[in-house]
Amino acid sequence: MLDATPKTTCDQKAPFDPREWLRLAAMPHFMCPGCGHGIALRALLAAVHDCGIAKDDLAVVCGIGCSGRVGGYIDANTMHTTHGRPLAFATGLKLARPDLTVVVVTGDGDCLAIGGNHLIHAARRNLDITCLMLNNEVYGMTGGQASPTTAATRVTSTTQSGAIEPTFDACALAAAAGAGFVGREVTRQAPALKTLIARALRHKGFAFVEVMSDCTEIYGRKNDLGEAPEMILSQKADMRPEQHRDAPDQPFRPNALPTGVFVERDLPEYGERLRAHAAAIRGEITP
Amino acid sequence: MRPLPQEDFAPAPRPASAGLNILVVGVGGQGVLMISKALALMAQRRGFAVKQSEVHGMAKRGGIVFSHVRFAEQVWSPTIARGEADMLIALEWAEALRWLDHLRPGRGVFIADTRKIVPPFACRSRKLGAPSAYARETPADVVGRHADGCALDATGIATALGDSRAANTVLLGRLSAWLDYPVAEWHEVIAAIVPKGTREINRAAFDAGRAWTPPAPDEAPAASAAAAVAPGPDLRIGVSIDAAWCKGCGICVKLCPERCLAMDGPKAIVRTPAACTGCRVCEWLCPDFAVTVRNEGVPA
Repeated sequence: MLDATPKTTCDQKAPFDPREWLRLAAMPHFMCPGCGHGIALRALLAAVHDCGIAKDDLAVVCGIGCSGRVGGYIDANTMHTTHGRPLAFATGLKLARPDLTVVVVTGDGDCLAIGGNHLIHAARRNLDITCLMLNNEVYGMTGGQASPTTAATRVTSTTQSGAIEPTFDACALAAAAGAGFVGREVTRQAPALKTLIARALRHKGFAFVEVMSDCTEIYGRKNDLGEAPEMILSQKADMRPEQHRDAPDQPFRPNALPTGVFVERDLPEYGERLRAHAAAIRGEITP
Repeated sequence: MRPLPQEDFAPAPRPASAGLNILVVGVGGQGVLMISKALALMAQRRGFAVKQSEVHGMAKRGGIVFSHVRFAEQVWSPTIARGEADMLIALEWAEALRWLDHLRPGRGVFIADTRKIVPPFACRSRKLGAPSAYARETPADVVGRHADGCALDATGIATALGDSRAANTVLLGRLSAWLDYPVAEWHEVIAAIVPKGTREINRAAFDAGRAWTPPAPDEAPAASAAAAVAPGPDLRIGVSIDAAWCKGCGICVKLCPERCLAMDGPKAIVRTPAACTGCRVCEWLCPDFAVTVRNEGVPA
């Protein structure tokens, strides 16, 4: 039976230095000025450091898109996979190497459109994977097409007169599909985001974290959302902390998304069940 | 008005027949009104006419509380005019200074707790260990120079007795040394107005305040030594920007609460490094890992 305990740990008491976690030869990264993905990357690294996970025990699986490039800058085991399928690759990886901490970094299009089925089934199985969905509301890398989370009236290269489709609430989807841990945070609250990711990493089972990120060049510019500082400052009005979830809309916008931890429940973890099941079957077959 | 020797330690008390204007000041929650109530009851027992007037609206937020207590054969106005208070009892040091001009020039008695309660708006610099804008005057600047009387660490005395909330009673005990009223009667009055469970601690606090003697001169300056912190740049705190990694998005410049960063063409630079408080906002929100904050007081 495969051993699910990690072999090494890092010293989480030491001060966090992101340069120890980055592939310095690849830096500075390719992302546009002000891109929220860089803030999310820092929060992820700080959370990994806080959890005391060693580089050799961390596996980051990415799909395609701006978010898919995030993993490549992490000095750990990283995998750049096909569009929409990081969760499928991560499922195989986690089943083969349960001692690794598997983190999937994916985007709104990668996770909800191309990989929508993989998300719901990963959540349903509840395999011990942490899924970080960087939601910047657009397909940034391919030229700014509308994604499943593009808000109504927003101008993108495929919605020149404004988007009209309803948006996807990824957290509600993951929770309904059976994820054990679901949370959302904005990049503006980076320390809170780090704490949320750390909780997700410690959770045993499928943990889904939606990070509200900013696409400054492709999305913010086209929609007159201001420069990077204005965009990140406006996140305060776009979110609603969990403790105010039931409050009337003021002072929050009517469509403000709630942030915080929405679901945290202990469910049977898929890897353990599978291994126990396999052992039981082998026990039946072999005399 | 000079305090006269009382028993073996204190100066002679003021004759009980004379009327007095006593101003009691402090901040919310310290027990200013308890002192004035005790004084008023005591004066009533001596057959004086008593008038008391107070402001206590800001009590819940540590705001100013003051109470005028006037007693004499006949009292007309309930408030004490500036320069007409015979005694000033201050439960907080800055309030003592604020009301100093209400004392009778040259004759008033000043009794104050030296303990400082620094209000948030006096903390103008967010730097670690930065000096506040709290009054810089020390007891030595006031007692004996602008007014006679004493400044004592009443809160410390009360804490040593078991409850810092009895500091007001310590000051009341100190005040009683100037008045020619029997100790037993003070004890009666205090027992009548304090909550039942606190009678013993208040009695002990009263006695401790009444028996207080000034420390020897060489012990006195200890309180002001802590205030002498050397000014200058704090080497434990600093911010730096790696120009090679900076893409000039401007997030750090716009979000720095101290505005110590600026744009220099396409890159952000540190303009006023001394203003940095090490809050790490820029470091957390830099998407390009270009900002590094050093702050030995706050972990990353």
